[in-house]
Amino acid sequence: MADATGSTDAATTRRGPGRVLVAVYGLFALAAGARSVVQLTTKFNDAPLAYLLSAFAAVVYIVATISLARGGATWRRVAFVAISTELVGVLAVGTASVVHSSSFPDATVWSGYGSGYGFVPLVLPFVGLWWLRHTRPPRDGHA
Amino acid sequence: MNPAVETLVVVASLVPALWAVVLVVRDKGVDLALLVGAAVLELTVIVQLVVGIVLLVGSDRDIARGTFLGYLIGAVLVPPAGVAWAVGEKNRYGSTVLLVVFVVLPVMVLRLHQIWAGPLG
Repeated sequence: MADATGSTDAATTRRGPGRVLVAVYGLFALAAGARSVVQLTTKFNDAPLAYLLSAFAAVVYIVATISLARGGATWRRVAFVAISTELVGVLAVGTASVVHSSSFPDATVWSGYGSGYGFVPLVLPFVGLWWLRHTRPPRDGHA
Repeated sequence: MNPAVETLVVVASLVPALWAVVLVVRDKGVDLALLVGAAVLELTVIVQLVVGIVLLVGSDRDIARGTFLGYLIGAVLVPPAGVAWAVGEKNRYGSTVLLVVFVVLPVMVLRLHQIWAGPLG
C-alpha cells in the first residue's frame, strides 16, 4: 500500500542486495566489536592509540549496520556519514599501519587495508556508498 | 583445537552452503532444508564452544585466550542472527545471507585453529 511520506522508501537500503550488505556489515560489527573488547580489556596499555582506533572502527561498523538496516531519510544520512568515515578510516589506518607498523602490534580490522579480512574492509565502504546512491529516492528526500 | 570438532563444523557449513548456492541460482528464498542445515550447524558450534572452553581451561599454553574465546562465542551467535535476517527476504538475497554465514563459519574455524596453534604454529 502506498503510504504517504517516505515509508515506501524507508526500507530500500535493506531490500534485495541490501539484505546481504547489511549482513556483511553486521559481521564486521561483530568482528571489530569483539576484537576491540578483547584489546581494551586485556592489553590496552600495549598500544592505546591502535586499540582506540580499533574501538572506533567497531562503533562505525555498528552504526553503519543499524542505519542501513533501518533506512529512511534520516538513517540514510547517518549511514552516509558512517560509511564515509569508514572509507577514510580504512585508508588512513591502512596507510598508518604500513608506514608506522610498530604502533600497530597486532591486527586491527583496518590494519593493512583490511588484509587480515581478505581486504573486504577496503571494498565494503565503496559498495556501501554505491548502494546508498543506487537506492536514493528520486526527489532526494530532504524531509 | 580438536580436529574432529573442526571437521564437524566445516562439513556442517559447506554442505548447506552448496544448497544455498542452488537456491541463489534459482532465485529462491530460504527453505526448510536450509533452515535445518543452519540448525545442525548451530548444534555443531555449540559443541565447539563447549570443547573449546574445556580445552582452554585445561591448558596453560600462551595463546591469545581472549580472542579464542571471542571466536568460540561469535561462532554461536552468527547462525541464528543470519537466519533471523535472511528469512525477511523471500528471494535469492535471503539465501545469499545464509550462504555468507555458511562460508564465514569455516573461516572462523580456521582462525580458531591458528590461534590454538599459537604464534609459532
